[in-house]
Amino acid sequence: MFQPIMDQILALSRDAWAFMAGLLIIVALLGGMYYILQGTAGAAFGGSRMTSMAIVGVVGLVIIVLFAFLFLPQIGEMLKNFQPQPPF
Amino acid sequence: MTEAASILLTFLREAWMALAGVFLAFALLAGMAQLLRVGSAGMLGSNLWVWQSVSALLSILVLGLFAFLGIPQVVRALQDSLPGAGGCGPISELGAFASGLIGALAALRMLKAAFASALSASIGGAGAFAGALVESAEALFGMLLAAAAIPLAAWFLGAC
Repeated sequence: MFQPIMDQILALSRDAWAFMAGLLIIVALLGGMYYILQGTAGAAFGGSRMTSMAIVGVVGLVIIVLFAFLFLPQIGEMLKNFQPQPPF
Repeated sequence: MTEAASILLTFLREAWMALAGVFLAFALLAGMAQLLRVGSAGMLGSNLWVWQSVSALLSILVLGLFAFLGIPQVVRALQDSLPGAGGCGPISELGAFASGLIGALAALRMLKAAFASALSASIGGAGAFAGALVESAEALFGMLLAAAAIPLAAWFLGAC
């Protein structure tokens, strides 16, 4: 009875997931570019703190993207395995 | 009576499966949205925003685990405490029908409350979060009251 509605919701959810994954990639690329600009500017005029902050920022960004694309699907799989049958 | 109960319970079981599927899809989308927020906030240097997103992500995960692992166990425990047949004849059938229906409705209500609380956690609505948890507790106490009321009703109507 609920299957047609479920299909619609799941299709919408898949679209939303793809959209957000794409947006995350774009944000991460722009952020990476910004940090690289910051790092090179810092290196150019001898701002070692600025450069090191930029390197840390790039590493943090990579970790967040890896977390989103590797860890989140695993969490989803785990929750899917836990999805309960009706207890009544 | 048994057939009516079977039809109603089948309908409610399908509703449970649909709600659990939507909950899972929504939890994953909310997690992705929070991670997007963490990434952009980290880039802007907004520490508070990052911590808000991390805590929202963790709360969605905990609520998902509670919904998928905790609620079925709570409902099973409460259903075991509901007396199914508090008499004989039509009273017995009515008791079994009522206890099955009360358990199913309470289970659905608790899952809906968990879904609403995950929704509130992802958008940062503390008031709606508390309201959803209160609704969950209401369903729980409703089942406990029913556990006491069904034998009393059977006794009042004439138990064998």
